[in-house]
Amino acid sequence: MNDPATCFSLSTASASEAAGHSPSPQPGSKMFSALAPITDAVTLFLDGQPITASAGDTVAVCLLRAGVSYNRLMPVSGAPRLPYCMIGHCFECLVEIDGIGNRQACLTPVRDGMKVRRQAGAPPALEPSAP
Amino acid sequence: MTINAPLPDADVIIIGCGPAGMTAAVELAEAGRSVIVLDMQPTPGGQIFRNLEANLCDTSLAGQSLLAALGPAYRAGADLIQRFKACSSIDYRPQTTVWEVRPDGTVGWLQGMNAGYVRGRQVLLAHGAMERPVPFPGWTLPGVMTAGAVQTLLKAGHLKPRGNIVLAGTGPLLLLLANQLHQLGVKPALVGRTDRLSDNVRAARHLRPDGLIPLVKGLGWLGRLKLAGVKSVTGLENLAAHGAQSVESVSFTVGGKRRTLPCDLLIVHDGIVPAIDIPNAAGLRLQWDGPNASWRPATTPDGLGASTLPPEMSAEPCVLRITGDARKIGGADAAMAHGRVAAQAILAALDHGAGPSAEALRAVGKALSVRPFLDAAFPPGLAQALPDDDTIVCRCEELTAGDLRAKIRSGFRNMDALRGETRCGMGPCQGRSCMVTAARLLQDETRAADCPPTFRGRPPIRPIPLGAVAALSGLDPRATIRLTLEDKPENASEDTVDAPAE
Repeated sequence: MNDPATCFSLSTASASEAAGHSPSPQPGSKMFSALAPITDAVTLFLDGQPITASAGDTVAVCLLRAGVSYNRLMPVSGAPRLPYCMIGHCFECLVEIDGIGNRQACLTPVRDGMKVRRQAGAPPALEPSAP
Repeated sequence: MTINAPLPDADVIIIGCGPAGMTAAVELAEAGRSVIVLDMQPTPGGQIFRNLEANLCDTSLAGQSLLAALGPAYRAGADLIQRFKACSSIDYRPQTTVWEVRPDGTVGWLQGMNAGYVRGRQVLLAHGAMERPVPFPGWTLPGVMTAGAVQTLLKAGHLKPRGNIVLAGTGPLLLLLANQLHQLGVKPALVGRTDRLSDNVRAARHLRPDGLIPLVKGLGWLGRLKLAGVKSVTGLENLAAHGAQSVESVSFTVGGKRRTLPCDLLIVHDGIVPAIDIPNAAGLRLQWDGPNASWRPATTPDGLGASTLPPEMSAEPCVLRITGDARKIGGADAAMAHGRVAAQAILAALDHGAGPSAEALRAVGKALSVRPFLDAAFPPGLAQALPDDDTIVCRCEELTAGDLRAKIRSGFRNMDALRGETRCGMGPCQGRSCMVTAARLLQDETRAADCPPTFRGRPPIRPIPLGAVAALSGLDPRATIRLTLEDKPENASEDTVDAPAE
């Protein structure tokens, strides 16, 4: 993920594609199970795929329930990260929400139609302008 | 032309809506003061009473069993939340992060894509605690989470852990969580405690009569776990998590023997410490609390902070007070007791009242009297030994203890130089996870007698979109004034530049 060429190409590819993972969220989590079925369902889009959540959930809860293997890949090494503290201190849960990067998934409630993208490494650099 | 300083938006701004913040807000509002409460979460309660209102309304079987598992200490917040919400005069602003606080009472806020400044004649920091950062090999792997995170997922996400679950660390929260999981039908593979029986026995001399109830509660948790057949060890050391893309196994040493267990979720907890991000960036004096291996704000008993700026450099007196776990770890009861003290002190500062009553101050002492016992019984464990060279210290910038040691040895011997050279503490979390370890490494390498001060905190202490900065509201008009000077070079240019040749 350190290769600048890879980073440049990320402007159009979703995080999951860039990482060579399946682009659709995994069915269910191996770490968590839901205490109750989803109520008051809203639909958001995770890397382009529809995914349901309970109204009032945070984006971080929605992703953990879906069993994603990571929220973001680190800008330095490309290592995967999932939420660590869930209370807004650790910033491990950062995702792109409605086009704006580095949003704290654990502090952001879901909204119908919300577009969430997982982050793949360093954000794409701007194209150098022609001289 | 004279431009006046902006008028205050409220008598008091309170940051944080947990037990301390809510108690203070209610006291101040009932005394007729205007109060703004800023809180990151969508509903009042703080972390301890997180999502309590909604969970109390949930009459489903699953909802009822969750409430039963979370226990009476969780439900105890209902009354305070109700009183807080009944105070219609409180200007409560949920989902609002704070990215700057100044000693004069100016507070920078962000809500969605809107940001600005609000000013209080007095400001109360009630932003709570965080779990002690615990760098160990593998702590950045997906599947490693704090006990607080798992509790948040229970309370506000209605998710419970599954698979092979290992709890490791120390402190009441670890045992409480293990019990809550057990009540929800989740059986951890192991509860590995870093504290030893000798710590627990030695702590007994700190026991006061008021500490007996928590002691009985704790022994009850241990008894129930034993009855349920949950495996437990004490004296756990050298924890490590292993796996490629997520945790697959954990290893640790107990009694000189190395053990490895399969693991899907490793839950760690090493006690809680005051969150110092806001006081540090506000330039308040912090003191190092050796036994707790953490900083805490230096305050008067009623919570008044001390600005590190010399008096000649600060135009206004410091109006920041700190309360609850952000001031001193004590749990919900101590936070509520001190929230009341702080509110009474604020009323006095606003020329209204005689200051904290002896009874209110006594209540704080009573609620805190169990702490010496808990601190001795559950000393820092996972974070006690400094990490080895290969262990990541700064999670954001992925810097290891070895990276930092090498830079310290090459001459970067103060915190800000180390940060500037390595980027340790410059990632999104702004040092919340790494600062204390970096400081302890620096102390160790330089053989300093005292722990060095923190990184210099600078706003914004939380990310704020540029679009929000461009449209900041509540700016001080004195800071935005533009003066046109008659002696600018462009005014003189016609005389000095040669006229073009005809």
